[in-house]
Amino acid sequence: MMQRMDAFRAVAEHRTNEIVITTMTATLQWPLVSDHDLDFDFLAFGMGHASDFGLGLALARPERKTVVFKGDGGLLMSLGSLVTLGEYAPGNLIVFLLENRSYEMVGGQSLAPRVDFMRLAEGAGIREGGATRTGKLEHIETAHQLSEALPRILTEEGPHFVVLPVSNSEPLPPVSHSDHAGRVASLRSSLAVS
Amino acid sequence: MTVHGATAAATLFEIKQLGFTHIIAIPDSESAALCDAADSDPDLFYMSPCREGESVAIAAGLWTGGMKPLLIIQNTGLMEAGDAIRGCGIGPSIPLRMLVGWRGYAGAQARRLPQDSAYPFTEPILDAWGIPYAHLMSDDDLPALADMDALAASSSKPTAVISGWKFR
Repeated sequence: MMQRMDAFRAVAEHRTNEIVITTMTATLQWPLVSDHDLDFDFLAFGMGHASDFGLGLALARPERKTVVFKGDGGLLMSLGSLVTLGEYAPGNLIVFLLENRSYEMVGGQSLAPRVDFMRLAEGAGIREGGATRTGKLEHIETAHQLSEALPRILTEEGPHFVVLPVSNSEPLPPVSHSDHAGRVASLRSSLAVS
Repeated sequence: MTVHGATAAATLFEIKQLGFTHIIAIPDSESAALCDAADSDPDLFYMSPCREGESVAIAAGLWTGGMKPLLIIQNTGLMEAGDAIRGCGIGPSIPLRMLVGWRGYAGAQARRLPQDSAYPFTEPILDAWGIPYAHLMSDDDLPALADMDALAASSSKPTAVISGWKFR
């Protein structure tokens, strides 16, 4: 288990020109470690669909990696998206599943305790899957291991689905739900999409 | 005798004329022929996710990245995808283009009972969400695709074309 902020710091340290999509509590803490034109906050966009949005972006922009931080509760809200990733995810998509076993943002209610996200992803065909049939499925336990793995994950062909068991003891910044259209327009501008 | 339903070939031709790059479809009984035609067309990227909410978010990502996707879903899936349409279309002003199979329409026209509950809610739901729509009931209605495409572009909001009959 790692502190979520340590995971974010590690990714921010290694990140260069990747699109980074954050959702739920990740949208609150990621800006504490990153201020980048290609950061995209998915909060309030659609429950459970951050990796679906990321899949579309990755398909549209094959010249760069798209990184998605997704919560385990969000995954359970759209579990079929694992199967879709297993079939269609391109080699430039990286999904980090933040496994905290709870709906943290709405009060910390527990998830079904026996759910095993690695086995779900395995069963969805993610390992050696995706459009490239080179999908990678990993479980990374510590921030140190994540730091060591990131140069590889951010450069090798994927798609990648990486389960990160996380906890959080740092205070969460306040929630902001503002100017969603502006955020989309800003990302399109950063991607030079007219 | 009136021939019901647009042809898959003419509809696909119009879709390609309008410059769509990706077809994101959940096949249903109304759109099966169109989905089959799109899936076998080498000029289009065709994909079939598991559920309509996924499809909406994928389409939103494709559009944000500069592509032009068309969603093909059934009215039942439209209802399921409400939060995704709100969050990935209406709220962030993403011009989703949707071609919606109108399950229950044919039965209602034939006055079959019991009425399919998917039928009467379709138009009121689109109205409630503020999504403009047009009907596609035969090849004569194909200009509706261009009309709704243009309206989506000019408004940067979702639009829909609803098809009451099976594609032929």
